[in-house]
Amino acid sequence: MRPEFGSLTEHVVEFGRRLRAAGVLCGPAEVADALRALQAVDVVDREAFRLALRSTLPHRREDLRVFDALFEPYWMGRATRQQPQDARDAPSQAQAEPLAGAPSVQRWAQGAEDGEQEVPGYSPLEILGRKDFSTFREDELDAIARLVVAIARRIATRWSRRRRRARRSHALDMRRTLRLHLRWGGAFPELAFQRRRVRKHRIVLLCDVSGSMDVYSRFLIQFVYALQGAVGRVESFVFSTSLTRVTRELRTPSLRGALDRLSRSVPNWSGGTKIGASLRQFLDRYGGLLDRRTVVLIVSDGWDTGEVDVLRRAMHEIRARAARVIWLNPLLGSPGYQPLTRGMQAALPYVDVFASAHNADSLRELEHALGKRLRAG
Amino acid sequence: MGDVEARPTLGDVEAILAALAHEGYIADREIATAIYLSIELHKPLLVEGAAGVGKTEIAKVMARALGTDLIRLQCYEGLDVHTALYEWNYQKQMLRIRLEEGSGRSPEEKEQTIFSEPFLLRRPLLQAITHPRAPVLLIDEVDRVDEEFEAFLLEVLSDWQITIPEIGTIRAQHVPYVVLTSNRTRELSDALRRRCLYLWIDYPTFEKELAIVLRKVPGVSRRLAEQIAAFLHAARALDLQKVPGVAETLDWSAALIRLHRDHLDREAVERTLGCLFKHHEDQRVAKGPWLDRALAVIAEAQRDGQALEASLDRLERLAKG
Repeated sequence: MRPEFGSLTEHVVEFGRRLRAAGVLCGPAEVADALRALQAVDVVDREAFRLALRSTLPHRREDLRVFDALFEPYWMGRATRQQPQDARDAPSQAQAEPLAGAPSVQRWAQGAEDGEQEVPGYSPLEILGRKDFSTFREDELDAIARLVVAIARRIATRWSRRRRRARRSHALDMRRTLRLHLRWGGAFPELAFQRRRVRKHRIVLLCDVSGSMDVYSRFLIQFVYALQGAVGRVESFVFSTSLTRVTRELRTPSLRGALDRLSRSVPNWSGGTKIGASLRQFLDRYGGLLDRRTVVLIVSDGWDTGEVDVLRRAMHEIRARAARVIWLNPLLGSPGYQPLTRGMQAALPYVDVFASAHNADSLRELEHALGKRLRAG
Repeated sequence: MGDVEARPTLGDVEAILAALAHEGYIADREIATAIYLSIELHKPLLVEGAAGVGKTEIAKVMARALGTDLIRLQCYEGLDVHTALYEWNYQKQMLRIRLEEGSGRSPEEKEQTIFSEPFLLRRPLLQAITHPRAPVLLIDEVDRVDEEFEAFLLEVLSDWQITIPEIGTIRAQHVPYVVLTSNRTRELSDALRRRCLYLWIDYPTFEKELAIVLRKVPGVSRRLAEQIAAFLHAARALDLQKVPGVAETLDWSAALIRLHRDHLDREAVERTLGCLFKHHEDQRVAKGPWLDRALAVIAEAQRDGQALEASLDRLERLAKG
């Protein structure tokens, strides 16, 4: 049996490398596991062979699909127990430098490892930050999306550090307290026993996707999703003339792809706007999502073609039930803009924070509004 | 590690399939292979999939089949080290201090007493590490903890030892079998993923679900079981907030039996809707016009004596509208 493993090893190494090139999280450690797994199963049984590799090489659902797509084409015609000299098409340097790969793959691997994408190099950060989202060319959108995600990640890390400090200052150190007590005897010092847990905010995102709002909403959704982990759950809705819940659709690693699919499937994406009716629909159907920990983020230019009174009543109710209401209006970023539309006027009294979110810099400023301790405490 | 002999195994993949079946868990080779390799390679098994597809059940069945104990760490937002690992039993310590007042022992002696093992509260992770024989450690819904705790977990899963300042380092006698489950509410770190073998459990196929119903629901006829499996196959294609899992299938089947139904019709479905659809909006969708057509397709297929499998695609298209 042993000598046959030589060529098989090379094939498995090469297969692992192809998976990696296709974006699968798979390196030498996985290949080593796969080889150990192959010693534990009957490799003559093709199905056992496949399942052994499938259990060890990929680590996420998306990667399983890549695995399934590559498995047959790669292993067809490659006997799993062939002699070493038959391994003509296995690259001879396979074992010598198992980590080498195409430059693009290396870049990809490095990027995947430290999580934070590099900020695009061709345009200085400040300029990129100040430029209005709607003015980007299509080929720049990817770069700016990465920047938005990078900002969100930085905010998220900062928050989690801050929370750690806060937790320490509120937790009672029982070990030390008891020791002191032992040394000094006497009455137990008066102590508060509760340990305060800093609660994460939950975010309900209501995005206007009508007409000109489309591009801003896309960036905001990406921004808020990249904050996940630092904030609690995110529930997302898009609206124009009616409201659609999109939380499930967006819960995917490739957010951009999901957004593109959405814009095709959601009715009225980029149609007219009925803000009041959409918010009412949200309250009636999903009002249960609102509580004292929830921050409601509404992204809209406030152009409501429906009844103003419907909007006013809906805003009143949202304000009463949520912790905080933040309204983001990208037009606020354009010079000389006054929030004079009837809809905006009706909504403003119920808004805690009114901000612009029209470019990357203004998203950075949003940190303050999102991170502030909620009044429910 | 020297504990290899102490870990019982379940033989090969076929033996695991048999053991699982014996425990009432209908598995396929994919699941059995993952379990088998997790035991053989001594690696934790990360199980992902929608709610209600039997992720947690894997650990339970594994423990029963291996004849060992199951220790469960239920994760939630805000779970911290004290709840997961150990905590000192402060009440007991205080009582002891009171009892020893006037005993004349020095503070150092007293301190040594109250910070010793009898005053330790073992939480699941410490329990698993100090267990006399390798247990199955289920870390349930690991996606709910925050990144910091995830990093801590990763450390425990690699070293299998923990340090308690007052006592010293405790090393695992027997490395536990670990099963982690995730509902994917948050993406897990790559580091944790790479520590584990990976298993994705999908909603069951028609055949598998039929086998589960036949096995788990006493008194169900094959005819009704087929209708149930076909109905769920279609219902999962509906646009739902919460897609029914296998647990829901079994609840629903039991309810139908209770109501003495031997076949599905609109009235039976409407009366038992709550077993399958847990959102008001979903119930509205389920009661929609597709229902009559779907029921008709199922009835027609069975009347003609065809296998229901042939109609599954049609049912799915109906549900998608």
